[in-house]
Amino acid sequence: MKQTLRIGAAAFSVVAALAFSGCASGPSSNAGSGSTSLNLLVPTYDDKTKGLWQDVITGFEAKNPTIKVNLEVQSWDAIDGVMKTKIQGNQAPDIFNGGPFASYATDDLIYKAEEIASPGTFADFQESFIKNEQLNGTTYALPLIASARALFVNNTLLKQAGVAAAPKTWDELLDAAKKITSLGNGIKGYGMPLGSEETQGEAAIWLWGGGGTFGNETTLKIDDPSNLVGAEQMKKMIDAGVTEENPGSMNRSTLTDVFIQGKIGMQVLLPPIVGQIKEKNPALDYSIVPIPTKDGAPLTLGVADRLMAFKNKGDKQSAITKFMDYFYQADVYTAWVKAEGFLPTTKSGSVALSSLPELKPFLDVLPSARFYPTTNAKWAAADAAFKSLFGKIQTDPAAQVLTSVQKQAMAG
Amino acid sequence: MNSLPNTSAGVDKRHSRRGSSARSTEAHNRRWADLVAALPWITPALIMIFGVVLFPAGLMFYNSTRVISRSGLDKGTAGFGNFAQIFAFPDFGPIVVRTFVWVILVVVLTVLISLALAQLLYKEFPGRRLVRLAVIVPWAASVVMTTLVVYFGLEPYFGIFNKLFIDLGIIHDPAGFGWTKQPETAFLWAIAVAVFVSLPFTTYTILAGLQTVSVDTLEAAKMDGARPARIYVNITLPQLRGAISIAILINIINVFNSLPILRTMTNSIPGYDADTIMTMIFKYIQVQGRVDYASALSVIAFIIVLIVVALYVRVVKPMKEV
Repeated sequence: MKQTLRIGAAAFSVVAALAFSGCASGPSSNAGSGSTSLNLLVPTYDDKTKGLWQDVITGFEAKNPTIKVNLEVQSWDAIDGVMKTKIQGNQAPDIFNGGPFASYATDDLIYKAEEIASPGTFADFQESFIKNEQLNGTTYALPLIASARALFVNNTLLKQAGVAAAPKTWDELLDAAKKITSLGNGIKGYGMPLGSEETQGEAAIWLWGGGGTFGNETTLKIDDPSNLVGAEQMKKMIDAGVTEENPGSMNRSTLTDVFIQGKIGMQVLLPPIVGQIKEKNPALDYSIVPIPTKDGAPLTLGVADRLMAFKNKGDKQSAITKFMDYFYQADVYTAWVKAEGFLPTTKSGSVALSSLPELKPFLDVLPSARFYPTTNAKWAAADAAFKSLFGKIQTDPAAQVLTSVQKQAMAG
Repeated sequence: MNSLPNTSAGVDKRHSRRGSSARSTEAHNRRWADLVAALPWITPALIMIFGVVLFPAGLMFYNSTRVISRSGLDKGTAGFGNFAQIFAFPDFGPIVVRTFVWVILVVVLTVLISLALAQLLYKEFPGRRLVRLAVIVPWAASVVMTTLVVYFGLEPYFGIFNKLFIDLGIIHDPAGFGWTKQPETAFLWAIAVAVFVSLPFTTYTILAGLQTVSVDTLEAAKMDGARPARIYVNITLPQLRGAISIAILINIINVFNSLPILRTMTNSIPGYDADTIMTMIFKYIQVQGRVDYASALSVIAFIIVLIVVALYVRVVKPMKEV
């Protein structure tokens, strides 16, 4: 395993270097004069993905008869391996729907975002998402879809506990959670999942909500006084007994089911949970409100996937731009995003979808979305350190926990 | 394993002693011819032994002295630095102690329960075949699956075991108790599951041993008026010595190297308060991305197992006939 990794990494860098310096001479993929073919590689989000892209391509080819788009669909598990092989074989797709882009950008394999989208298309993206596609101030990819979080509130429990309005600040949240918890019968005010499944998500919401940060692409900043505010508030919630028992080892998916069952008053959740509630417990009376922060300032944790374009031989830039401009038109784009059940990253898309009641609360908080510093080389280690250590905040002093997370992240 | 080289050496001696030196040379040549003829047949096995056993073990030792980056790049020698890091890790001592507690508790409980189970399955009763089959089931089921069933049964709010405990009045919190959310209880439940999945193998080994206990000795004891307990302790148990000592040896190695049960049971717990050496190796690789530390800890684990097994073999002599 280790051996293959190392060989793989070596082979990868050699081939990437070859591809970059243009030594390799692959067969031309252009089919004759005047027509261009674009290779589009996408992962499957669900069973609908392939058909949705097919529709986009059909529409695009009807308007651009000289451009042919070849679609290749791969599973999320396989796509990293496929990309590695393709890049090694000098066959990188022209357009790629992927996760991390920093390594492609530093190897100079992909276009800058402005080079593959017309100014009108580029200006339509939400600024918070464009920032997430930047490395050293340059934008390298176009955000495709987004996910954001909001506070799900059990209206029935709030009413029973005599809480008039959903909380906006931490003080109101603690107060409301106390009242809900005192209903007894195993009901708890606030669901705080800090188990290893997705500790970093809940941590980000609290630490950033208190004015903290995880740093940027160059510096990782977890053991920082600004993060202590949020961490202390988490401890306050736990010590007050208003969270579920053992929050340090409670996983998100488990706790989400408990919320759906109606035994948790409030929890920060994602858009797909709306569908889950519809399916598992349609009788649940709930509403979706912005996440409370220390002073009530808007905040959400955003996650986005992106489209990036590989340079290859550098002769398809205008065709790629035409495709991007076509795809990100409000009607084409929103049809795609809506069918997949995600959030749009464009302003026009947000306007078009704001009529959907289940998406509205998430769309409202999108402009204030903040992201993990995924372009930081240490982020993968930090993510793992959060998962394995941050739950200790249940018992250990907040400062000590932050120090241990930072220490393990830097050692990774 | 031990007896094989001895046997062949014995054959050699017999051959060379018999007859003249010419016949000995002839025999020698024939042996060479035999070896050459056998090579194509044993080569795959040799390749397997080298590729699957020796090479990975060698690589493990090698990696334990290297600095290896998260993406798998070898960044040069670390000397014994990785080992120093592991010994300096404040949780290392508790983890080793916990590993021994884990092995000893699981093996002892498994053997005690298996002795009773084997005795029950040895006795003839209607439906014995079905009961014997039932004992095999945990063996046939995937360990991860068995563990997950227990894990979800112990979940607060909707776990079926928790529900039972609440209905029985053992737990008063209507949300249930977070058995798998705290290191101590999660560890104890992991031991329970480990015993459960170790029972089939151990029971059947002892059952096989019981079949070889000579009926004559039992009848003789009965004739002499010995009570059942006395017969069991003085007649049956000594004859089970071989079966039990082999069962213990294999269980020690298996349980020491067991990862899935503890990993499933204690995975969501933050920190290192429920880890054994094996889960720690896994955390080094999976969580921290430190293949070099993991290799060093693997080497330590390897040496511990080696010492424990050597001591055991020396003291108990499981290969010795009764």
